[in-house]
Amino acid sequence: MTSIIRATGITRTFGKGDLTVQILKGIDVDVLTGEFVAIMGKSGAGKSTLMYQLSVLDEPTSGEIIIEGIDVVQLDEVEATSFRLNTLGYVFQDYALVPDLSAEENVMLPLLMRGENWEVARGTARTAIDEVGVAGKYPNLPGQLSGGEQQRVAIARALAGKPKILFADEPTANLDSISGRAIIDLITSLNRDYGQTVVMVTHEREYAMGANRIIHMEDGLITGIEELRPHHT
Amino acid sequence: MRALRIGFLLGFRQIQRANKWTTGLIIFVMALTFINLIAVSGILVGLIAGSERALQEKSLGDIIVTTLPDEDKILNTDAFIRELEQLPEIKSFTVRYQVGGQVEANYKTRSDFSKDANIVSGRLVGINPVAEDAVTGLSKNIVEGEYLDPSEQGYVLIGALNIDRYTAGFADITGSLENIYPGSTVRVTINDNTKEFIVKGIIDAKVGEVSTAIYIPERELRRLSGATSRDAEEIAIRLDPTTDGQAVKQTLLALGLDKQAKIRTFTEAIPKFVVDIKNTFNILGVFIGAIGIIVASITIFIIIFINAISRQRQIGILKGIGIERRVIEVAYVLQAAFYAIVGSAIGVAITYGFLVGYFERNPIDFPFSDGILVAEPIGTLYRFVILFIITLLAGFFPAWLIVKRNTLNSILGRK
Repeated sequence: MTSIIRATGITRTFGKGDLTVQILKGIDVDVLTGEFVAIMGKSGAGKSTLMYQLSVLDEPTSGEIIIEGIDVVQLDEVEATSFRLNTLGYVFQDYALVPDLSAEENVMLPLLMRGENWEVARGTARTAIDEVGVAGKYPNLPGQLSGGEQQRVAIARALAGKPKILFADEPTANLDSISGRAIIDLITSLNRDYGQTVVMVTHEREYAMGANRIIHMEDGLITGIEELRPHHT
Repeated sequence: MRALRIGFLLGFRQIQRANKWTTGLIIFVMALTFINLIAVSGILVGLIAGSERALQEKSLGDIIVTTLPDEDKILNTDAFIRELEQLPEIKSFTVRYQVGGQVEANYKTRSDFSKDANIVSGRLVGINPVAEDAVTGLSKNIVEGEYLDPSEQGYVLIGALNIDRYTAGFADITGSLENIYPGSTVRVTINDNTKEFIVKGIIDAKVGEVSTAIYIPERELRRLSGATSRDAEEIAIRLDPTTDGQAVKQTLLALGLDKQAKIRTFTEAIPKFVVDIKNTFNILGVFIGAIGIIVASITIFIIIFINAISRQRQIGILKGIGIERRVIEVAYVLQAAFYAIVGSAIGVAITYGFLVGYFERNPIDFPFSDGILVAEPIGTLYRFVILFIITLLAGFFPAWLIVKRNTLNSILGRK
């Protein structure tokens, strides 16, 4: 089995001088290709901060993160943006769709940025929207969709470009339990059926049960790794 | 190119989905700014342009013929006139005989000889009333009484600036006539020759040459001044409206008429100080307009800044999912460009579709000129380009400030 993410000695410190706060205190994490890893912990445990480091949205104070053989800590801003576009997919808590763009255009945006032409991008976007279960909502603005539908469109946006790794930061936080369950089922099936590598931060143990492993965190450290089901590449 | 295309998509959709009232208000501000930019300098310049136009229409004509520097008459005026009559481009012309003289009023009722007589010294202009009216429309400037009738004798037109009730005190220096109305009798003295005239009308035009003059039929003026020659001092020529004054002047020069008189187009005859005032007002207008541009650019800056800062998280997420900074910057610059273009287009439409025509029909009644709105297309284009560039910068700068922030800080709303 090969590691798609290998992080060693990750620390993240905020502030200066006496006001320094160390959120991550030396984390080592490996994520295997096709694996579904959930990160759990109480508020302030550092789980979101860890995800931001792994997803190249933030730069660790020290440590090394290798994704797909690339030392992402060494990337400059332009390279990091390009890396995120071509390699990673994101699902945020509050869907984070562009309110002025239709569902279809939201999904098309990263595809267009990759250089796909309008028609190809639109075809890919519609397929992705169909696959996440909101078929026919292509022209709807985010404001015309329910929370669950918006999160599905956000997942479609994250997946349309076929990312190597999907990062999900508490994707059910703003959803009711039924919609939340449906989103988790969708993410789980993406992993099980299509071998999509997923790293998800969640508060809810119930939602983490579909993962291969749960990484438990407390006070900036990994306190335990729970193997739920074996992962086979 | 890709960044431009996606930036256009984002920017266009933001404009499309924006609150219509807000967009309308921003465009309204931009349109007013543009109009302010054109209109302020346009009216200032138009004030002088109106004065120039009045000078052309009411006094100088399209070509003005005057005496050579060392002469006091147009040499062989009759021959000169015969040449003018042969040129089809010349619509009409008027020959003027000018001489200094005095006009005295109220001499019949003067009881106190210890006081000065009610006399004004001025420029007496001998005209053919019909020819003068054809060139300058002098009859339209009658404010009291009637215009000269060519069949009558013994009548005079007096410029309003020779009469005390029109001069509001400033004629204390030059003198003025009191109690002069149409029908009053005045005594005109030229070279010690005196004759009584009846005031037929009073003339007032916002052209000093007209309002200070005293018009008498040319035969009577020559008779009174004792002139033996028919040579005149001035000929004003009106051309067909489609004719180029410079071309006609060249024709006159080719005929050798410049040996008899000084020939100038209207433009050449404008006094230098008028041109200087015009240029000064133009600069003044640009300065005032620049204040308008600064206000507009600050408005755009604030609008784009508020827009961008309220979408800071969204901008962070766009960067997070791999959208390049310049794409987002293009989106905001496009919005600024949209406001500038639409606002300016409306400004242009209002300026050329309404304001220029309106002021042409209803000039502003300034004391010394009928002000119009001068809006030269090239000047308008120049101002648009300035406004457009400044607006783009005002749109780009706040977007750049917000977009350059750390991606994660933007996503999390951290400062």
